Amino acid sequence: MNVRFAGLLLVMTIFPCVAQAADVSCKTAECHTSIGGTQNMHEPVKEGDCSGCHKQTNPLHPLKGAKSFAMTAQGAALCYQCHDAFGKKKVLHPPVKDGECAYCHKPHGGVGPFLLEGGDDQTALCMGCHDAAPFKQKVKHGPVAVGACTKCHNPHESNEKALLRGPVWESCLKCHADFLKSLKGAAFIHPPVKDGPCTSCHNPHGSAVPQLLKKKMPDVCLECHPGLAKKLTAKVPHKPLQDEGGCGNCHSTHFSKSKGLLAGEEKDVCLGCHDTDKLGKPPLRNIKKEIEGKKFLHGPIEMGECKACHSPHGSDYFRLLNKSYPADLYAPYKEGLYDLCLECHEKNLLKFAETTIYTNFRNGKRNLHFVHVVDKRKGRTCRVCHEAHASSGEKLISKEGVQFGEWKIPLNFKITPTGGSCAPGCHRAFKYDRDKPETYGAETK
Amino acid sequence: MKIIRFAKLRKSIGVSLFGMAFASCLAGCAGKAAPPGTVFFPPPPNKPKVQFLTSIADSTDVEGKQGGFSLVVTGKEGEQSIRSISKAYGVAVSKGKIYVCDTSGGQLVIIDPVNKKFDYLKGNYGDGKLKKPVNVALDDDGNIYVVDTMRKEVLVYDSMGNYLKSFGKELEKAKPVDIVAYKNRLYLLDIFQGDIKVLDRRTGRLLTTIGKDEGSSKGLRMPVNFTIDKAGFMYVTNAGNGKVIKLDLDGHILGSFGKLGDGFGDFTRPKGVAVDDTGLIYVADGGHQNVQLFSFVDNKSRLLMFFGDPGLPVGSMNLPAGIAVSKDNLAYFQKFAAPDFELEQVIYVINQYGPAKLAIYGLGKMKGDTTEMVAPTSADKSK
Repeated sequence: MNVRFAGLLLVMTIFPCVAQAADVSCKTAECHTSIGGTQNMHEPVKEGDCSGCHKQTNPLHPLKGAKSFAMTAQGAALCYQCHDAFGKKKVLHPPVKDGECAYCHKPHGGVGPFLLEGGDDQTALCMGCHDAAPFKQKVKHGPVAVGACTKCHNPHESNEKALLRGPVWESCLKCHADFLKSLKGAAFIHPPVKDGPCTSCHNPHGSAVPQLLKKKMPDVCLECHPGLAKKLTAKVPHKPLQDEGGCGNCHSTHFSKSKGLLAGEEKDVCLGCHDTDKLGKPPLRNIKKEIEGKKFLHGPIEMGECKACHSPHGSDYFRLLNKSYPADLYAPYKEGLYDLCLECHEKNLLKFAETTIYTNFRNGKRNLHFVHVVDKRKGRTCRVCHEAHASSGEKLISKEGVQFGEWKIPLNFKITPTGGSCAPGCHRAFKYDRDKPETYGAETK
Repeated sequence: MKIIRFAKLRKSIGVSLFGMAFASCLAGCAGKAAPPGTVFFPPPPNKPKVQFLTSIADSTDVEGKQGGFSLVVTGKEGEQSIRSISKAYGVAVSKGKIYVCDTSGGQLVIIDPVNKKFDYLKGNYGDGKLKKPVNVALDDDGNIYVVDTMRKEVLVYDSMGNYLKSFGKELEKAKPVDIVAYKNRLYLLDIFQGDIKVLDRRTGRLLTTIGKDEGSSKGLRMPVNFTIDKAGFMYVTNAGNGKVIKLDLDGHILGSFGKLGDGFGDFTRPKGVAVDDTGLIYVADGGHQNVQLFSFVDNKSRLLMFFGDPGLPVGSMNLPAGIAVSKDNLAYFQKFAAPDFELEQVIYVINQYGPAKLAIYGLGKMKGDTTEMVAPTSADKSK
């Protein structure tokens, strides 16, 4: 038996004046004094007509030790005498299903609308039955925070799971209308956003992490993108993935105009952080400054594809590089060591001491790339002569010179139709010619 | 044990292919009935990738029995002259014409299938007389270079077939057996010296020698045939070690595949080699009596299929030697293909014996077949 109804009957027993005729109010100075007096009274109560719900079963009223009034119907049938009946939809709120309307409603009147006791904040009412833990998280959904449970849920019945007022996606977008507007213009949409449900990533009530995510980033992302887990535990991590913003530091997680759901064009996203001399300890290079105003850009940068060389989620190689490239200034060539560069550039560039095919940097057939890089004692890495990102010099040859401790080694490199010359800080000036090879003296090396 | 096992397997596959030929007549292939006599490789239930199309042994196979005749050789009018291929070795295709070196006939046969012409080389007399032509190459200007192992020379003819000059006698202790014209160079394969002579295309002057085995086990061993692909890499078949060796134009050995044996991908007498414009490598083997088809990417070879093994009513090879692959004449040879079998390459194989002196096959696939000859590698997928 419903506790509230039991109380009501008890009240009726104690205050027998309720048994008076309909045209005589049951509520008097002495009887049924607790009835009414609330902000929102049940309409019959407001009109003083108790007979719609109560009927006298014994002419004696009040009747000590016995009841002289009974309900005009039992359970929900009592309410359905005036209100439309529920039960036509797939999902019913259990009290509705049990016909126990008074679980939630105060039959005579409540502080809040709909004969509810708790006013606009329905938290206490709902938590009377539901587990409160998910609603006490650090981050609360707005409606949860103000106890507006019925903003998303229909408290009586629904065709949707969890008594939602509509499908998840529609339920969310009823409020998040601005999101819908931006979504329509997006070129790339995250599949859970496109196909739903939003609850793939979000907990709609509350969460311990920002944005109501089910888990913190990147864990929530890895649930669908498990292939990235290995990258994220690689030797060299990308720092943004480790802070609170996680994946969202670079990706626009719902939709984007850019491929890979990036927050902007790839290069712009990267340079959004790599545009300062103060990033990291010791500071990373200011790539934006390195690129700006340069006549020659490295091909991938020209195409805005930093990831052609870098692995932004993590890498086992120096500087998040996709493949092997030496971290030191000197590293004699061996198979695999220069794979990063040779992935795009001629694979046989450094294999043969003599060639007429794989490089134009040769004196006759003598492969001068081989001379510089394959030197077993002091193989020079590409960076000794070339800038990786951009240069004012052709072939990305460094104009300013490579940083060598406190000195920048000048190269003074020049190109001719059949060869070229350089007069660097490394050795005396040399010329080279593919068609008419130069003869070098004792200082060849 | 391995040899016996593979030998048995080869035999069983040969039987399968034989059965396939008839099965294809009865049940068809890839869901659509192939006309009687259609020979596909590999056998069902695999999807067909190569079809035997036709063969040429003499001029009637090209011109028809009542076809036209040529004055080039006979000089006689009013009678049909049947010109034939006696025993050939090398073959080349250029601008739709097929050039066949008839070694025992001392002829260079020039076949124009589209225009139904079967001619002997015009300049094959006097100083330009061929004795034992084994291989032929054409340059971008249409000049014809024929390697003659009896004359130990390269004979040069213009695009009309007129004899121009010869060179190579001055090459000491050399026995050129194959030739490729590539850009402004001629590359001459020397079976005696085990190297490749690089000559100036216009003068015939020896510029350098490449590919010489410097005592390593990687070098050329009795190189018999070679080709240069469109990217400028050479592939040399070696009778001495059963390998196909890949070199660059400087002669650096970049890799190799194969070994002597009768397993899949092995060679017993590797001869002609060709590379199509997609990079697939075709190697004719006089011992296996077939052509094996390989991919060779990142220094890794993969045997994709083989075709022409003995035992078939038509389409089997008989001492295969030279091979050429071309997209020329695709439309012409499509009419020899089974309905719905779409040609992508035409493969020309010389049989030193048997009636099919020049056997012609088509690489392709049935309409709607989405499988690729080479499955993407993991590296491709990651890109």
